[in-house]
Amino acid sequence: MKVRGRDLETIISYILTVGVLVSLAVEAVGLGYYATGESLQVDFTSRWQTSGNDFFAYAWGTLLSFGEGVTPLSLIALGIVLLMVTPYLRVLASALYFTVERNPKYALISLFVLAVLTISLKAH
Amino acid sequence: MVDVLTVLLISILAGLLGSLVGLGGSLITTPALVALGVPVKFAIAAGMVTIIATSSGSASSYVKEKIVNVKAAMYLEMFTIVGAIAGASITSVVPAKFLYFFFAAFLLTSFLGIGRLGRDEVPQAVVQDGLARWLELEGSYHDKSLGKDVNYKLTRPALGGAGMFVAGIAAGMLGIGAGAFKVSVHELILKMPPKVSTTTSSFIIGMTALAGASVYFFSGLLYLDLAAPMMVGTTLGAFLGGRALNRIRSSTLRRLFLVVILLVLVEMLYKGITA
Repeated sequence: MKVRGRDLETIISYILTVGVLVSLAVEAVGLGYYATGESLQVDFTSRWQTSGNDFFAYAWGTLLSFGEGVTPLSLIALGIVLLMVTPYLRVLASALYFTVERNPKYALISLFVLAVLTISLKAH
Repeated sequence: MVDVLTVLLISILAGLLGSLVGLGGSLITTPALVALGVPVKFAIAAGMVTIIATSSGSASSYVKEKIVNVKAAMYLEMFTIVGAIAGASITSVVPAKFLYFFFAAFLLTSFLGIGRLGRDEVPQAVVQDGLARWLELEGSYHDKSLGKDVNYKLTRPALGGAGMFVAGIAAGMLGIGAGAFKVSVHELILKMPPKVSTTTSSFIIGMTALAGASVYFFSGLLYLDLAAPMMVGTTLGAFLGGRALNRIRSSTLRRLFLVVILLVLVEMLYKGITA
């Protein structure tokens, strides 16, 4: 199976590798920055709690928060967002791939997985 | 209460130990943090996010080498993600006491994998049922240890789907990968070759974890200052453990496995009884 000379496995492997490495790097920088502050207690305050009811709105809000300056919280939140986006992009790529490949069975299976995840990420 | 550096250090050690004894993800990190006083539901929610990193990271190279069966994974993910969403929703509402006992009980499924250590034969003469043929559930991969290409066929996807739904519920409820259980479904029901089974399981765990995390994200149980060091630490520990794995004798690993399982089991039962 190849689309534009690349097979699905290569595309997926690339998405997973880049997604995990970038999110880990952002998280490590965020933690390093946090470690320069006064308190390192994990105190379970609402500041660190993820909230809202739409992951995509949260992700967008996290990106916009960088406009007000870079904080340990904004970096750590971005790292988690990027990590969660990684498998999501992997299904999206599979759905597109099987559609281009004209494999309706697996295009539908990928779209089902994508739809369930999208609903669960958007509708809480 | 714990601080970020302690979580990081504990997660590195737990990730290292987990990868040595074949208990990936959060199966050790979560109980280790609970032992330090972290509320079990917070540890489970952070564990769910953590295993997106550990499983996706370890699966990526196996995908590229075409050992993972992507089609089988996509089919089985339909069941695990629905199970994981249901499981995470259950955890959000049930009393914590119940989770300790369920964690202890599910830990016993880890023994499913120990008899399989070192066994590597490919199921022969698998007769596919109609649904398996329709789903094109077959594949081939290059086995480096055998020095040849291995062709295989899978069967009974309907029953396999049901098994993966159960695996998804457990994974979502406990914030773990439920890898040993998934691998058993792959091999005993679908007749997947061991190498394909373990790598495809890692691949599926990343997606299952996202489904569970999609519930925990808005449940009020996910704290970023716990999840971030847990994710970085466990992934780093698992990476270091993977490098050390070949230098340790398998009899030592088996003993270590039993000690770790026993410790976690006793801890979770004790927490459950005293909660």
